[in-house]
Amino acid sequence: MSRLFAPAPTPRLLAAYLVIGLVGSVILIYLLHRGLGPRGRRWLIAVVTFVAGLFYGLEFYYPVHNRKNFLTDWIEPVSVMIAVIGAFTVGLGIYSLCQVHGRNVARRRPGWPNSLAFFVAFLAMLVFGLWSHYTPVGEPAPKVLPWQNGVYEVLFNGLFAPLQTATFSLLAFYIASAAYRAFRMRTAEAALMMIAAFIVMLGQVPVGAWITSGIPLTSPWAFFRLETLGEWILNWLNMPAQRGIVFGIAVGALAMSLRVWLSLERGTFFSEQR
Amino acid sequence: MTQAPPHGFWQRMQQIPRYYIYALLAGVVIWQLLFPIRLPIAPSRATLGVRDAIRNVPEDKIVIISVDWDASTQPETGPQTQAIIEACFQLKKRFAIMNLAAPMGVKLANDIALRVARRYNAKYGVDWCNWGYKVGQGNFLMAVAKNIPKAVATDFYNKPVSELPMMRGVENISSIGLVVEVTGLAGMTELWLGLIQGPYGTPFASAYTAVMAPGYYPYLDSGQMKGMLVGAKGAAEMETLVNRPGSAVAIMNVQSWAHLLIIVLIVIGNVAYFMGRRRPGEGRR
Repeated sequence: MSRLFAPAPTPRLLAAYLVIGLVGSVILIYLLHRGLGPRGRRWLIAVVTFVAGLFYGLEFYYPVHNRKNFLTDWIEPVSVMIAVIGAFTVGLGIYSLCQVHGRNVARRRPGWPNSLAFFVAFLAMLVFGLWSHYTPVGEPAPKVLPWQNGVYEVLFNGLFAPLQTATFSLLAFYIASAAYRAFRMRTAEAALMMIAAFIVMLGQVPVGAWITSGIPLTSPWAFFRLETLGEWILNWLNMPAQRGIVFGIAVGALAMSLRVWLSLERGTFFSEQR
Repeated sequence: MTQAPPHGFWQRMQQIPRYYIYALLAGVVIWQLLFPIRLPIAPSRATLGVRDAIRNVPEDKIVIISVDWDASTQPETGPQTQAIIEACFQLKKRFAIMNLAAPMGVKLANDIALRVARRYNAKYGVDWCNWGYKVGQGNFLMAVAKNIPKAVATDFYNKPVSELPMMRGVENISSIGLVVEVTGLAGMTELWLGLIQGPYGTPFASAYTAVMAPGYYPYLDSGQMKGMLVGAKGAAEMETLVNRPGSAVAIMNVQSWAHLLIIVLIVIGNVAYFMGRRRPGEGRR
């Protein structure tokens, strides 16, 4: 196994492997694309999906000897292969984004400056991210960073992170406004939910504990301290409900996995192609 | 069809412009940030479980801190990560940061670890390391369980992990004494429990945003999880435990009064709703 997936001994050989791999893949995909009709392609994908599922299933369930079975050594190279295939989807995503936003800019569609902002941000992060990654400053970091690392720090910690945090934090304002306008005790169920929500909300914060701190911990009424009551709701009312949901999801996921594995699920793998 | 303008005090109360509510909430947040009213924070059993799980890691094993979060949840997950790292340094447990999803988190967590490490004179590669972002999620975890140096290959700084002093003797999942998952993403815990904790019995603890934590109580009750940090509250409790009150304690002050404000607003909204319905001449809806 280690001989089959050994790293290339020299950079020249690595380059040769890469070129052979790339050319071979292109030829194989071309031949499959030309040689197989839609029905053949569906069968090929179904077979590959089945074999991949079978591999992981067998490796997991087959009895082990010294924590290994005959498939265990293949797990690592197969995982690397899957990671490589997964990395291609990132490229596909970038290509798709560039296509959509490029068209918006070229045709001056409404909102095209936003598409232009996408290209500026994308290129800036890509260039300075890679530049900074390949010119590491080491640890401890110097007081004054090289300018490309400095620009990357500003872009990442000074722009990207705060923008994302700020966008998400707006939710707090929407929740407050929505709670005021929409959370109404129209039914007994809504009233129960509201009371439970109040107790859990207050039980999660120090002010809740402070409100009922007059009840001594040793008192028979200690159960009614907000933090205790909140925990009781989470552990005794929420947990069984969550457990039921988890069981339901697990059964559904198992059925869904079987359908995907056996290619029985409608709408998968180009089934719309005729 | 246009809506009739509100008439009467209670109708108007039901339709006060949302900007007033935004301003009220912003006012409470700013007030508590500038003039905090400090209230005692008592660690819960779930938080104590995380601290004890870190404490119980054998000397020859390392802790994995999986930081699957990004800036959107940073106010909760950032302090949680920091408090866990503080606990690892204080209890002299070596740890590796890694990231399976939300790749931004790996740099944010690295910055936190660098900052905390300076305080404890901890050295990168000796006391802690960062495996970086790893593609593949479940496939990667299965590979890690079998062969860590091969599956991880290089660290955050592109160095082979096998060259790091702390990674000597770290071969497979049996070298891991604890996994702590810090996340704001659903589905990550199920991966760890299904592929690592279940089959290999590796101790597992977690830290979640407050909104997703209720869904994970069953795993805590079943013992699959040794402990759990719940949102900023869990982070504040952990900060208290490691005697390093930081941003989570400050957030708890803000959150306390913001929660109270939201409750008061809901009560006012409901009172206005019921009083508005009882106005003479309108009948019952």
